[in-house]
Amino acid sequence: MNTQPDANEPEPSGVSRREFLVRAGATGALIAGSIAAGKALWQPDHFVPGFEAQSGMALKNYKLDPSKVLPSMAIAHGAEHEKVIRAAMTALGGMERFIQKGDVVMIKPNVAFDRPAALAATTHPDALRAVAKLVRAAGASKIIIADNPINSPTGCFIKSGLRAVADELDLTLLYPESNSFGPLQLDGEILKHWTFFNLPFKRATKVIGLAPCKDHNLCHASMTMKNWYGLLGGRRNQFHQHIHSIVSDFALMMKPTLVILDGMNVLMSNGPTGGRLSDVKHMGTVVAGTDMVAVDSYGYTHLLERDLSELTYIHKAHDRGLGNKNWKDIFYKEVQA
Amino acid sequence: MPVLDAKPPKVEAKRNRNQFVRPTVPRVERISSFAILLLIAGIGAAILIKGRRFDPNIYSLRPDALKSTSKAVEGKSATLRMGRDNGGTEGTPSESAPKTVAAPAAETSVAGEYAEAATGSASAKPATGEPMEIALPGIKPMGNTEFYSSETLYEKIDGRAPAYVSFNIQQLRSRSFSLAGTTAGYVDVYEYRFDSPINAFGLFAQERDPKGKPLEITPDGYASEMGFFFRQGSVYVQIICSDQDAKTLATARAIAENRAKALPVDDAGLAARRKLPAEGMVADSVTFVPENALGQSFLNNVFQATYDFGGQKLTFFLMTSTPDAAAAAWKSFRAFSGKYGGTASELPDVNGAKIFQAQNFDKWKIIYQREGEIGGVIDATDTSLARSFIEKYLQGQLH
Repeated sequence: MNTQPDANEPEPSGVSRREFLVRAGATGALIAGSIAAGKALWQPDHFVPGFEAQSGMALKNYKLDPSKVLPSMAIAHGAEHEKVIRAAMTALGGMERFIQKGDVVMIKPNVAFDRPAALAATTHPDALRAVAKLVRAAGASKIIIADNPINSPTGCFIKSGLRAVADELDLTLLYPESNSFGPLQLDGEILKHWTFFNLPFKRATKVIGLAPCKDHNLCHASMTMKNWYGLLGGRRNQFHQHIHSIVSDFALMMKPTLVILDGMNVLMSNGPTGGRLSDVKHMGTVVAGTDMVAVDSYGYTHLLERDLSELTYIHKAHDRGLGNKNWKDIFYKEVQA
Repeated sequence: MPVLDAKPPKVEAKRNRNQFVRPTVPRVERISSFAILLLIAGIGAAILIKGRRFDPNIYSLRPDALKSTSKAVEGKSATLRMGRDNGGTEGTPSESAPKTVAAPAAETSVAGEYAEAATGSASAKPATGEPMEIALPGIKPMGNTEFYSSETLYEKIDGRAPAYVSFNIQQLRSRSFSLAGTTAGYVDVYEYRFDSPINAFGLFAQERDPKGKPLEITPDGYASEMGFFFRQGSVYVQIICSDQDAKTLATARAIAENRAKALPVDDAGLAARRKLPAEGMVADSVTFVPENALGQSFLNNVFQATYDFGGQKLTFFLMTSTPDAAAAAWKSFRAFSGKYGGTASELPDVNGAKIFQAQNFDKWKIIYQREGEIGGVIDATDTSLARSFIEKYLQGQLH
């Protein structure tokens, strides 16, 4: 009696061993091929938030240790940019307190628009000139100027007059280019992972924020905290829906050596772009300090002359322990230039 | 010795296979199937989770990538508009500001560098619309015409954009012009085109400079210290100077006159504004609120103006609609005014108009409705003055 099965005879299960092996092999090959194709098509250099195993860059803390004998905020009044900024810095203990010989200093102006300086929508060239001179005199080996305006950066720097100052004082002006950005890592309220203008921070040892004081259509005011918005890349207008959250996140993201709020001429209305001199009010004040929240609190109440209770991002930052909105509670000095 | 059965013919085997019904699925096959299904589900879940955090900037168009194909598409329909804008020297359809359109050699350095800078925009913008050509002596374009839609407007004016979007902006067209014979003088021309003249007026009025001087070239316009601003048709024009130099201002004025002539006059939808009495009106105080005026959802397309009678200010508003809608709005407003501690009471009709007065805190309002019109005085401190104003208006005694 024949008991040996034919190789082609179906097994009781219905599939011959050979056929099973062929099918399993084909399936395996298909899976392996898919994985191989996926790997070949994967672009590891592209930063897709959430996908990458490697986390983004966390900015280092550029802040100095607080002083027990020197103020952490100075308010200076006067008529000329250079004299007022100089007076504010002298009141803080001099630029030498913040900048040491050999430092590479990144100054972040607000150059968001291609507007003339007189309209107060951008950092004033006289303010940049005054700060850059002080930084250089303190011994900085290099001064970097950088911002990422959404509109044509070169046009913004030219029309605001900052390009002329950079040329005049031989400052290194970094325009945002595609390779100037990298992923930022932050555990913010809304800012977690995002493309960031990180090139200046690869070189800088000290960071100074130099912001105009102005009205803002969405978040009421653009001052030293809001100024860091200009470092984000990508379609950052998506954050406009959560503007107060992200502005308060900047106090977590950036720990600058110093911030300077230029309140010599304040854009009181139709911000952040302005467009008319009637929107601008001469206030003749500069506030410098190490606590952005305190500096902005002063700016909102005394320069924009508004009620601080409506400035949500200040309260968020204060409540998160990122600064002190009660500026009178910190050690400050007020001087006349 | 076992005898092997002869192999069945191939035809027979095929027949058997087709008729065969599998009674069971082997364990190994079942496990493999589950493993594959789990793998697919896992991939799907991973895509779902990771896809929720997505940076669209990665997939934005890189205009540089189009360079290799620009020759091939040159002259094709999609590139024609662009070609007109830049004189046909460049063909990438998504670049609104081609690199090769440099300012003439005789131009100032600012103009030349700005022309190069025009490529620095963060993302490509579609080249839509006609280029802005202004044929005036002494000015030269500093770059190409820039175009922004309501979606991309923030790229030009950032946080100011939502205010324009709320008035249904359709497009911004802008261009900069340098002044011959100056070292850095320039004039920026912005043409914000809205969906209607009334919305163009709305934003124009919202941004109006209270210190602006009337501009004789158009009724809705003024001269500011560093520029000229006016509304004509559906377009709100801003002409902003680099400085207050007399030559720059004169050039800007010439550009303003040029644009006022070029743009069509259209006051559609603005008829209700003419119903606002001119007597006592504070110059250029008229504003337009497209929706939710005075915080009321039933008050839309409202005109409002400030009046001054011997130092006493009144705020008067007016909305035109259908008779039914106006009557319903009046009723709703009356009901609202009586809430939250307010008191509202009807006054005798005047010239066929229904009127109520209400007091909320220390402020008074006198609101009327007749046919398809509702309006009134709000936030008045002197109720008799407010009432007198409304009664005179309804009797046609205010012009």
